Amino acid sequence: MTETAAAAVQVTGLRKTFQVKGAPVAALTGIDLAVAPGEIFGLLGPNGAGKTTTLRILTTLLPADAGEALVAGADVRREPALVRRRIGYVGQLGGADVNATGRENLLLAGRLYGLSAADASRRCAELLKVFGLGDGGAGVLADRAVRTYSGGQRRRLEVALGIMHRPGVLFLDEPTTGLDPQNRANLWDEIRQLRDGGTTVFLTTHYLDEADQLSDRVAIVDHGRVIALGTPDELKRRYSADTISVTPDPGAPEAAPVLARELAGVPYVDRADVEDGAIRLTVTDTTRAMAAVFGVLAARGIPTRAASVARPSLDDVFLRETGRSLRDKGEDTATQETAEVAA
Amino acid sequence: MTFALQTELFFHRKLLETLRQPVWLVTGLTTPLLYLALFAPLLRSLAGGPAFPPGQVLDVFVPGILVLIAFGAGMGAGWPVIWELDSGVIERLRVTPASRFALLLGTVLRDVLMFAVPGVVVIAIATVFGFHAHWGGLAVLLVLLALLAAACSATSSALGLNLKQIGSLAAVVTGVQLPLTLLSGILLPLSLGPEWLRVLAHLNPMYYTVQASRALAAGSVLTGTVGLGFLVTGAAAALALWWGTRSYQRAMALSPARVR
Repeated sequence: MTETAAAAVQVTGLRKTFQVKGAPVAALTGIDLAVAPGEIFGLLGPNGAGKTTTLRILTTLLPADAGEALVAGADVRREPALVRRRIGYVGQLGGADVNATGRENLLLAGRLYGLSAADASRRCAELLKVFGLGDGGAGVLADRAVRTYSGGQRRRLEVALGIMHRPGVLFLDEPTTGLDPQNRANLWDEIRQLRDGGTTVFLTTHYLDEADQLSDRVAIVDHGRVIALGTPDELKRRYSADTISVTPDPGAPEAAPVLARELAGVPYVDRADVEDGAIRLTVTDTTRAMAAVFGVLAARGIPTRAASVARPSLDDVFLRETGRSLRDKGEDTATQETAEVAA
Repeated sequence: MTFALQTELFFHRKLLETLRQPVWLVTGLTTPLLYLALFAPLLRSLAGGPAFPPGQVLDVFVPGILVLIAFGAGMGAGWPVIWELDSGVIERLRVTPASRFALLLGTVLRDVLMFAVPGVVVIAIATVFGFHAHWGGLAVLLVLLALLAAACSATSSALGLNLKQIGSLAAVVTGVQLPLTLLSGILLPLSLGPEWLRVLAHLNPMYYTVQASRALAAGSVLTGTVGLGFLVTGAAAALALWWGTRSYQRAMALSPARVR
């Protein structure tokens, strides 16, 4: 996970500003990141944070204003043709030709990357099998127009299109948006299998669980820059700890604020806050703190109505860095989206 | 070699797209035939008058119809381009090593074919009804109009890629179509009109294509009119192909928001 020259993707100081009605709107204000070969790297952030713009620059679709980007060993600005040969890309819009059949889509993609007709058809058969698009009784699916596919089938075809030529680095822009939970889980499995086969996967997402559970490492972006980078566990530990919530019975002899002050002094408890009658304890060691806290409560004879433990999420990381939650989106994303429209 | 292969692949893709929409194939043939059947008879009474040598209405009218077919075959290219932009097809193809010129040329060649087939059918049918075909001139005429179809196709693609919206494209194409066709004398020779109209027509590039077409259909190949027609139409095609390729190099969907 070091930032060596062997990185699959190496980005330094990437900047991009769009003109929206004559006024400049900064989409990227300096992105720095490195992706190690063979990992799943997630770019997490709210809508308009600059995720798609970053991906478009890395896939040669959009020129950057400043900064360096090396992808699969080639310079995005100086060697775009080389980059294109070495990467696969599945955009947010999908990109399957809906008037053609799945097989025609795959064969064309293969031929464009220089596969011979025979090689393309071999690879096509292989992928149809892996992605469950052509086997057995459903063998006709590959030979039906893509417009007749379900959302999940279409997405699987689009991922297959992106890896027809066995690229070293695969870019996925919001790969599971619009998929139902079952299809989403299947796609996660397929992405993991690609990683296990040696492919580097660079994906963007605005889903916390996708970044947390699917990605080996995550860069959290906001307002066009990286605000946190590391493995999901590292990030969560660095920025936040487990919390224990205790709600004393309303008839308890001591008021919650008083009790909170006392519990703050218990071993392994870092701090205590009161929220809606519940005492929220930030702890350094969950198991030990739990024993100590309930020991105190029992000794005082304080009945509790509810108690729970919460593990930190990547949202806590985002909250600490920005003061906003990733869950309530919408705020000031409008201008950025217009910016992307103008691009 | 790679470029030729890529062009062939894209041409094949576009041809399949057309063959799967038989409605367009049918109207592509019936529209010019309807002009011949329902409009040409109106001109009979003009025969012998100015611009119409006696009994040879079709000789003046058919080359105009051929220009109209070439124009129509090319100008339709922009609509599917917008669908492909919205569904991410173009973005995906732009990330492959494929040449952007090949991408454009696939569509252009399909449209040239979509002009040539009904064009030949119209010539054949018109000949039965009294059109005097000069075969050498007609062969050169097909080449000239292939250039026009290519120019229109590339222009329409470029317009679609830059305007990105069906409504805007429709407004521009219909807005441009009328003055271009009216001021070129496609349906009726401009020599019927007043002098200011004839002067104005000289500003319209398609006027020179139509003039050259009538000369070629009449069998005169090595004339200044034909040379000028090739010069103007060829320049328009070159410019349009350059613009279309450049547009493909930068094409981006209107909004990153998911369409589905």
